[in-house]
Amino acid sequence: MMRVIIKVSAAVLAVLTPVAAFAEATHASPRGLPYVYTKWKHFTIENGLPNNHVFAVRSNGNDLWVGTENGLALIDKRQSKVVKVWQEKDGLPFRSIAGIDVDKNTGDVWLGLFGGGLARLSGDRFDHWHQLNSGLVNDVVYDVVMEHENVWCATTAGASRFNPKTGEWAIFTEKNAPMEEIWNYAVDYDPQANKVFLAIWGSGVLEYDVATDRWQEYVDPDGEMEIDLYRDDGVNHVIVTGVTSIDGAMWVSSYFGGTRYDGRSWLGLPDIEGGLPSLFNNNVKGRSAHEAWFCSDKGAGAIVDLDPETWVQYVRDGRGGRAIVKQRLKPEDKTLTTVEVVETGVNAPHSFIVNADVEGNDVFLGTSHGLGWGVGEGYYPRLKERPLIGAAPKADVATQR
Amino acid sequence: MKRQSVIVIMLLFAAGFAFPGDGRKATPLKEWIEFDHPKILALLNHINGLDAYTVPPLEVRKDENYAGTAVDVEPFGGVRPYNEFFLQQMEYTGPGRAEPEPEHLDTVKIGFIGPIMSTVSVATGGKSHEETLGIPMLQGARLALEQWNERGGYLKRKIPFELVVSNDNGLWGASGNEIIKQNYKDKVWAILGTIDGANSHIAIRVALKCEVVMMNTGDTDPTFIETNIPWVFRNIGDDRQQSYLLIDYAYRKMGYKMLGIIRASNRYGRFGVREVRDSARRLGKPVPLEMAYQVGQEDFALEIERLRKSGVDAIVHWGDAVEGAKILNQMRAMGMKHPYLACDRCVQADFAKIAGANAEGVVCAYPWNPESQTKLFVKFRDAYRARFGQEPETYAAHAYDGMNMIIWSIQAAGLNRAKMRDVLAYMPEPWPGVTGDIQLSACLDDVGDVFLAKYENGDWNYYSRTDLDIPKGYIPPRDRVSRPDIEIARK
Repeated sequence: MMRVIIKVSAAVLAVLTPVAAFAEATHASPRGLPYVYTKWKHFTIENGLPNNHVFAVRSNGNDLWVGTENGLALIDKRQSKVVKVWQEKDGLPFRSIAGIDVDKNTGDVWLGLFGGGLARLSGDRFDHWHQLNSGLVNDVVYDVVMEHENVWCATTAGASRFNPKTGEWAIFTEKNAPMEEIWNYAVDYDPQANKVFLAIWGSGVLEYDVATDRWQEYVDPDGEMEIDLYRDDGVNHVIVTGVTSIDGAMWVSSYFGGTRYDGRSWLGLPDIEGGLPSLFNNNVKGRSAHEAWFCSDKGAGAIVDLDPETWVQYVRDGRGGRAIVKQRLKPEDKTLTTVEVVETGVNAPHSFIVNADVEGNDVFLGTSHGLGWGVGEGYYPRLKERPLIGAAPKADVATQR
Repeated sequence: MKRQSVIVIMLLFAAGFAFPGDGRKATPLKEWIEFDHPKILALLNHINGLDAYTVPPLEVRKDENYAGTAVDVEPFGGVRPYNEFFLQQMEYTGPGRAEPEPEHLDTVKIGFIGPIMSTVSVATGGKSHEETLGIPMLQGARLALEQWNERGGYLKRKIPFELVVSNDNGLWGASGNEIIKQNYKDKVWAILGTIDGANSHIAIRVALKCEVVMMNTGDTDPTFIETNIPWVFRNIGDDRQQSYLLIDYAYRKMGYKMLGIIRASNRYGRFGVREVRDSARRLGKPVPLEMAYQVGQEDFALEIERLRKSGVDAIVHWGDAVEGAKILNQMRAMGMKHPYLACDRCVQADFAKIAGANAEGVVCAYPWNPESQTKLFVKFRDAYRARFGQEPETYAAHAYDGMNMIIWSIQAAGLNRAKMRDVLAYMPEPWPGVTGDIQLSACLDDVGDVFLAKYENGDWNYYSRTDLDIPKGYIPPRDRVSRPDIEIARK
């Protein structure tokens, strides 16, 4: 497989540059520019996180819940500080938290424990369900999500659905769902569609229609592990790591790139075209039908528009960080072109992004070395005409496969 | 200064262990890659002393062909795929290299997970069936670890290695719980295992999140490594490699017209035989019938009768030795004289014992050559016999190599999981194993030679492709995406 090698001029323009001036340099002008997060807050063990390895993040109003490899943290967004931490010594049933969701009706916080089952934090008390005391199919829980009053768990040996009101459990494996493999990785609920989506290592994406109790599967059409035959024919690989459905669009991440499906057409989002920072993606969080945040091992890749395809890559670079804006300037271009480089200072605290959440104008990135909170002052969706706030690459911007 | 002292220590290691302990300047038996190999020292120079945010500028390895696949058995041959995977080495970009070595340790724990205790089998719903493979695997791993302890343990600190053993032969998902335990409670530095394809997949998902080296020495499922996980290594030739050789033998060498398949109805059978079936189809000789049987089944008359009626002229079996032998016996009893080809699990004492005279002429794919009689192997075999009173077999030998690779990575890189991964991923030369030279591909899989085992005159004999003059299809020297049109059209 070939990689995209992007050569970007190191020159940094210190003054705002009109978009029009850019057209001359690249022979094609960007059709508008996206919002770029330039204000970031960071949380590590130095300012209160129990552990730097952040596996899960969930924003809920003023509360920001952070699941780490050794404890749970609550950040009060109004104070911008960690206000409480739970570890095993504080009653947390298991140290490692891979998934978090909040019951909007009760305020209960549901935790997928990576090796410890399922927990509920309610009124500062933990309740605990695991393989030996419940219908949970496996204790290695990668993700949780609320669907109405049900809690869905993506586990390493199938999916479980729990209704805490009735105490009823349902298990979904190869016995009763179209799972060729049962290694669930992520779960999402789309209230608009009233569907649950499972990202499954070895089985692509499964869509469960809550109203009809029916399954729809999305797998790699070519069925081969070592190739992706066509870019836009479906999920790019059967090893899927994350899924989000929002506004009629399904965003899918894998260790082989990304994909989007709008119910009619598939769109491949490979790294080799220059938009996605890396092949290896741990997760994806959709914000709308046009915007999704991919969690790669080489930074966060936010696709912010499809027409034209535009990405903002957030990468940490030593003691600083950059936002790199990429756009497909002409529909026939095989690769995306760097149209702006913004020196943001440290954005994501580490370029190995594990998880992401968005709420309101803000974005939250859980990384392997801390949490980044992008403050979206003046955020706008998609693209608009605006002056460059970063450097315009010179005409020597080149892409090659 | 710190870097220099590490280099000095490594030089001492090399001087102390490259030669026999009695002071003779005999020809050294190379049992591992020298710690002072210039490329290892250069690598350590890159990965030591980094902060959590710096990714070392290591050159990623690129292969031009995935798994040595001949052009005429490539999937969707004749079409240029949009993208091709596993040709470029996966990087580790996380912060792990900045983790300091812990100060207070009594032992250096290394995890082992494998089927060693009888329990319920998912495949059968009854008694498990892989302990005969898992116990030798444990013994091989244990022997390597014990030998390193005799040499001084973790040499930098003179503390012993300790094996933390878990059984994985439970229901699906049990291996995940065990890896979690080994990681968080036992705090192992690396894990060796396992055999079952499903359990192996579950284990590496956990290893990825916990960032711990997973060395697989017994799972031949091709998809195991086709996951792009930078923490996963495998040192045994997989079913893809073995299938390619078996297919070349059957079609290109022997000229069989049509193969029929009978396989276990479990993950091993389902995925193991996949490359046989696909390659046959791509060669224009599709398999007309693939019959699956339940593990533990006794009567195969239905499956065999259907195979006979399908008109095939040779049979391929993919499953365990006991069923493989019983199927063979029943085939012969029903008058079928078809050549019988099988997977490596049939090269076991049970197979020959049950099949008796029917075993004569059976040909199995095999991941290594146990008759190689290299000095390394002979030394290992003698030590294994002395320790366990048994002959070492496939799973013991590969586990021995795998454990040596893990411990070597600790001796070379220190107690840092990310750096251990790095030295294994960037080995400057093939690993000198008792199973032969272990050459890792860009996706960290063993792509060394595989063999055929033929049962002849009451014993198994092992042959390489060269020994039997088995032809192979053309392998283009370019990846498929950037291959010239003429090479695409060649298909």
